[in-house]
Amino acid sequence: MKKLTLQFIYSFLLKWFLKVIVGVKIDSAAFLLNEKQFIIVANHNSHLDTMTLLASVPRTLVHKIKPVAAADHFNKNKLQGMLSNFFVNTLLIPRKRDKKNPENDPINKMLKALDEGYSLILFPEGSRGAPEIEQPLKPGIGFVLSQRPDIKYVPAYMKGMGKAMPKGDNLIVPFSSSLVYGKPTKIQSQKISDILAQIENDFIDLKNK
Amino acid sequence: MKDILRLDIFEKNELLIVVALIFGLLVFATLLFFIIGKINPHAKLDEVKSRTRSWWVMASVFIGATIFNSNISYIAIAFLSFVAFREIYSLLGFRESDRRAIFWAYISIPIQYYLAYINWYGAFIIFIPVVMFLFLPLRLVLKGDTVGITKSMGSLQWILMLTVFGISHMAYLLSLPDLNGFSAGGRGLLLFLVFLTEINDVMQFTWGKLLGKHKIIPKVSPNKTWEGFLGGIICTTIIGYFLAFLTPLSTYQVLFVSFMIAFVGFAGDVVMSSVKRDIGVKDMGSTIPGHGGILDRIDSLAYTAPVFFHLVYYLAY
Repeated sequence: MKKLTLQFIYSFLLKWFLKVIVGVKIDSAAFLLNEKQFIIVANHNSHLDTMTLLASVPRTLVHKIKPVAAADHFNKNKLQGMLSNFFVNTLLIPRKRDKKNPENDPINKMLKALDEGYSLILFPEGSRGAPEIEQPLKPGIGFVLSQRPDIKYVPAYMKGMGKAMPKGDNLIVPFSSSLVYGKPTKIQSQKISDILAQIENDFIDLKNK
Repeated sequence: MKDILRLDIFEKNELLIVVALIFGLLVFATLLFFIIGKINPHAKLDEVKSRTRSWWVMASVFIGATIFNSNISYIAIAFLSFVAFREIYSLLGFRESDRRAIFWAYISIPIQYYLAYINWYGAFIIFIPVVMFLFLPLRLVLKGDTVGITKSMGSLQWILMLTVFGISHMAYLLSLPDLNGFSAGGRGLLLFLVFLTEINDVMQFTWGKLLGKHKIIPKVSPNKTWEGFLGGIICTTIIGYFLAFLTPLSTYQVLFVSFMIAFVGFAGDVVMSSVKRDIGVKDMGSTIPGHGGILDRIDSLAYTAPVFFHLVYYLAY
């Protein structure tokens, strides 16, 4: 049921809404079918980002991908948490690391989802920023990738989303925007700062593409 | 003699003949470029080939919508306006505080086309030039951000006039009442307008390539030459004469209207070119991902549609 709902929402409703009304030019993500598991790493300017990424992936993968989101933002109350779990299939994590309680630690939560076979969507910039301006990447993605070095990450870059629906304004005003995918890549070094630098470079390449 | 011809051949089949003509031309162009490409592999045909390809798509969609059901045509043309508006709005760099007013500008698109659909001429003709013209600046002011507000007021109204008000005249052609002895009706007029506008683009391009030497406005559009301009105008006027059966106009009127389509079609083209130069994109279709380049296709229509409409409206209705 949940699988069908997600497929209907993303691969049909939202896909056409984003393409036809909002004007998002969506890059083909058919290559993801060749990957067993992956982490989509994207820049973050808008609530539309998650929607666009989920709408772009092949229909058969939609329910196997969990967008990682901040628990304090999307789990303000039980109902909201349930809704975002059911309709967005989110993996809710706390923003801060929690050494005392490993169950509640964001990194462990992501690793657990990966071990269960899910793929992830991660916005390493953290919170949504101003349109077309990059923010420094948070190290979480580095910790996850360094502990699961065999899982490939897929860089994705979106332009214009923050203009179609910026932070702090829930009105969608159609704006020609785009989503481009990079190639699935393995990390080249176990060092956190190297991993972050590698991803930052991918973003810059995609931005200028 | 002319009357007999009209009765025998054209009375019921005007539209079909022109449709056949359009697809015939497309087949001819596609084959021609294919053969030239085979004979001379070094010929620079990429641009004309991609133009021809998009003509296939445009012609099929447009003619499909027009022939089968004119209600669909209203929606199709409204959608064209919408995409064109979105494209140019996205390029012009508005402020974030303009978003509310832009939203209302989007809302005005279905309203404008609805007014065309219900054939309320008075409201149709003032809605954007008067109502939206007065309302949108107020909406901008209510937001309270005055830095750069004049530019936003001006650009927003200009885009709306160009992509919505101008293009919506195409839809209003379909709402014009029937005239005695003129069977092609609004669809015929629409076909005449679109076909002549596009053939004018093609003719100016072709004559410019063949004979072009003297540039008209090199700073704006280095490819536009006097030879292309005049060749285009002459050819378009002649072709318009032969397509007169799609209009209720007399011979002299058709010649004049065709000439005007050719002339203002050129004007629309160079106006858009200058804007593109200002923004710094040469071709809206390819430079920036996410921009389909619809404006490249309808820049001249934005000028020819209102001019043609009002000429015909004055002369025949």
